[in-house]
This record gives sequence, C-alpha cells and structure tokens, in this order.
Amino acid sequence: MSKPSSFSLRGRKALVAIKDERDASIVRRQFERLGIDTIQWEPGGAVDGCADLALIDDEFLPLTAPAQRAFLGRCPVIALLGTETPSRLKLMLELDPATFLVKPLRSAGIYAALVMAFERNERTNELKQQVAKLEQRLRSRRVVLAAVLQVMHSHAIAEPAAFALIRRAAMEQRKTIEELSAEVTARGYLPRATG
Amino acid sequence: MTKPSIPVGIICSQHGPYQAMGRELLKSALMAVDEINNESDFDFSITPHVRDPRGVVSEYHTACDDLIRNVGVEHIVGCYTSASRKQVLPIVERTDRLLWHPARYEGFECSDNVIYVGASPNHNVLPLVRYVLENVTRHLFCVGSNYVWTWETNRVTRELVTAAQGSILAERLLELGESTVGHIVDEIVRRRPPAVFNTLVGSSSYDFIRAFHAATTSAGLNIPMLSCSLCEPELKVVGPASAGCITSSAYFESIRLPENRTFVARWKARYGDASSPCVDGQSTYVAVYLLARALQRAGTSNIGEVRRAAAGHRYNSPQGPVWIDGGNNHCVLTPRLAVSNAEGQFDIFWEADAPVRPDPYLTQLDVAVSPARETARDGASPNAPHLRVVK
Repeated sequence: MSKPSSFSLRGRKALVAIKDERDASIVRRQFERLGIDTIQWEPGGAVDGCADLALIDDEFLPLTAPAQRAFLGRCPVIALLGTETPSRLKLMLELDPATFLVKPLRSAGIYAALVMAFERNERTNELKQQVAKLEQRLRSRRVVLAAVLQVMHSHAIAEPAAFALIRRAAMEQRKTIEELSAEVTARGYLPRATG
Repeated sequence: MTKPSIPVGIICSQHGPYQAMGRELLKSALMAVDEINNESDFDFSITPHVRDPRGVVSEYHTACDDLIRNVGVEHIVGCYTSASRKQVLPIVERTDRLLWHPARYEGFECSDNVIYVGASPNHNVLPLVRYVLENVTRHLFCVGSNYVWTWETNRVTRELVTAAQGSILAERLLELGESTVGHIVDEIVRRRPPAVFNTLVGSSSYDFIRAFHAATTSAGLNIPMLSCSLCEPELKVVGPASAGCITSSAYFESIRLPENRTFVARWKARYGDASSPCVDGQSTYVAVYLLARALQRAGTSNIGEVRRAAAGHRYNSPQGPVWIDGGNNHCVLTPRLAVSNAEGQFDIFWEADAPVRPDPYLTQLDVAVSPARETARDGASPNAPHLRVVK
C-alpha cells in the first residue's frame, strides 16, 4: 500500500485544542476546506486515539496526564504560539512539535504547517526505525565477533576467512549473519551448509 | 436624483512585463463600471479609482495602501499575478477589506478577504491533462516560465501523468521575459515528443510559439501544443503560428450563449471590431458585476455583509452561470477545452456538462481514479468535470 501524500489531507483527523474562539473558527473553516475532520479536545478530557494530528494551544500547557503525552507522542503536533518567551517555548518543546503557528491565526500558513508536520513526522518515524535497526545490529556485533573467534579457533583460520565462512553459510541458509552467529555461539560449531 | 457613489479600487498594471493583460483587465473593469452606472437596477453608482503598479511587485503594496488609507475604498478589483496578490493580501486582511481577484491562478490559497473569481486548478489544469491522457498521449514535454504558476501546474500534471503510467519527458523553464527559446525548440525537434505543454507567459510564450511552429513545420513534425493560459488577444499577437493549440479555459470569445453574444457585441462597439475580450478580462468584468450585485443585495458596502450577499448568488455571465462558493470564496465555473484556429479564435470542442465547484487545494483530486468517480465530500455533486462534446 502506498503511503498517503503529505500534500493531500482529505480524510485526515485532527485533534484541536484551541482556547480563543476566533482562532478556533479559523482552523475549523480552513480544515473544512482541506477535507480534514476536526475533533475538539479539552486537555482535561479523554484522549481520542484515532487522530492523525494534534494542534495544541500554548495556553493549555503544561499537559500533565501521561496518557495525553503518550498519545501526542504518536502523532505530529503543531504548536500554536501566543508568546515567544523561553519559558513557554520550553513547555512546548516537551511535546516535540513538528512545526508551529503563531497566534492570532490567519488562513494563510495553516496548509503549509500541516504539510510540514505530516512530512516531518514521516521522516522522523523513518529515522527512528533506521536507528532502531542499527542499534539492534550494533548489539548483535558482539555475537558476530564471538562467532568469528570460535570459527577462527575451530578451523585455524584468520579473521577475514572466518567471517567469509560465516557470511557464506548465512547466505546459503538464507539467514542473517547475526542469526547464524547466534547459532554458532550456541552450538559451538559452524552449522553445515545446505547448498 | 443622483445615486450615491461607492468608491472601488482597481489595481492593474498598464506598463511593465505583462502590460498587455493589465490593459485588458482595465478595459473590462471600466466597461462593467460604465454599464452598471447606466443601469437602473442599481441604487448606486461605482466610482473607479485606478492605480497602475507598472508590474513592479512592491508597487502593489503602495497602491493598495493608498486606496485604503487615502481614498477609503472597501473593495478592490485587480491583481493579475500571484506575486502581486500576495503583496496586497496582508493589507486587505489587516484592514478587513475585500479584494476581488479576477485572474486564474495555481490555487492553494484561501483568504476570507479575497473573492477568487478566476479559475481554480481543477477548472483548467485537470480537464486539459485528463483529456490529453485519454486522447493524445501519456508522455509530455513541459516548457514554462520559472515561477509559481508553472511549478504548481507542472507538479499537478506530473502526478496525473505518473498515475496514468505516463512520463514527463522534460521540464524546461525560462525566466520571465526571456526570449532565447532556440535551444528548447531544437531539443523538441531532436527528441520529437508526442506533445508539448506550454506554461510560458507573455512575450516568452509568443517567441516560443513562433519558433516552435517554424521549426516543427520545417522538420515535417506535427506535435500538439497544450496551454492553460493562451487567449484571443495573444493569438492575434502571435499570428498564424498560434493555430492548433489545445487550450483549457472557462471563457472563450466563441462561447455560443446569448449573454456572450451581447457581451462581445458591446465589447467590439466600445473597443473596435478587431479587438477581442480575453478570459482574464472577461473575469474582471464578471468580478465587477458580482461585486455590484452583492452591494445591491447587501444594501451596504460593509465587507462582511457583501461577502454574505455574494455567496451562492447565481449570475448569468458571458461565460455562463457563475457563483461564489461561500465555503472557500472561489468561483463556480464551467471548464472548457478548445483548439486555436488561424483566425485568432478558439473552436470549443468540449465543456463540462454543469458548472464545477472550485477545489483550490485539490482536496477532491484522487489521481488514481477516473474523474467520474471523484465526488464532493458530501457526495451531493460531482466536483470533477464530466466532459461533453459541444461541437
């Protein structure tokens, strides 16, 4: 399934927490034009987990409930800033906003902020997945090193040749080098190649 | 008894790089003002206050500020380019005035202080590209001016073409006013694309069309050209080389409606038989009429009242029925496709079977489905044009 375009926002749902009614009406009107469903949210109220985006007014900070923070950690957050004081910005940064809008709002800028938020969130998620994968591989390096040492001793060969042997066996058995290394260290010998 | 007079600002460049179109806008605006002032249907007259920013972007800001501060206008008609509209936008929003913008544009804007009378991208780009994909080719060579209109038009075109398993063979951009087009024409003759999409503006476009016609004729090639902006006065400037261009627009002089026949007759009586109205000029005429009718209905020039009175009010204009969609302040229009001929006119061959709602953010566009399956959010009325043969 192809990922939705960040430029097309029709059908998305936005959780909106805005204090000023004028700002709120501008957001509702612009969201309607863009085909976005608006879910009004009072920070003290229950969290609706099905939103794709959250607009949080800095008037409602700090958010204290862990469930609210956890939810906002999963979807892109647009910060609505009324003041630019460091104390207020510090509170807003705790929500890790993808982008921001400055109050009083006008219709211009809202679309750009939405597109940036979705795109930034998409790229951040990709980076997080990449980092997690690299961390996993880093952890498994210890097992690979142990397996290489074992093969070096058991076959009386140098490190490059031992690694090449493990790599070839992993390819033949359609396993990752890390998986095969775990088997080597567990069994104490290099599994027989099937190919 | 003398009617009360309402001052209306008119901002259009009579000098500079797009002076030809600016003059068309002014001619149309003044024609509408004169007609309205002579009609007994209106309880007021309009006093036009014309400003000429000479195509200098920063001058638009000055002209708008002067009209609001010194003349006291609440309504302004004009601005041709998006760059000029963006200059005026902060002032009209800050002072809560209403800009009646007549030109078609690339979309992705929606201000409560602007009434967008010209075509949205779903009125001109979508019907043209879809027609070409279904009837001409899925592979396009794009040449355009290096500014926002071309960038966005090409982006939408690329999405549609790619979804149809086609391709953009090349995207060549020239600076505004650039007249060195030979290298692009040479490339077209060498590569022989099945169609060329021309989004050049002004003199660049005229130079390109002449050079393209000469080179392809000499090489014995028949490569269709596509446009979303070519209009009758430009056909006359370019000459016979402009014939054969497939063009998308909400207005052509050749529209066979009684309202258009009388409009063209009045136009020629005023500006001469050799003169032709153009789409943006006619749209300026429509904008002044929509404003006047809204003023009449509102009974005041207060912009909130006028905006409410304008929304949804149907006007049988020269181009057919038009009205303002109150949800986004853009105009409901009827898309049309035509081919330019050697006489400097357009032969219309398709038009939407009903006026099409504006979709400035293209929220209803799904490039992966056919136009027939695209429906408005409420499912009430199709937003994409259903084309029918009108010839």
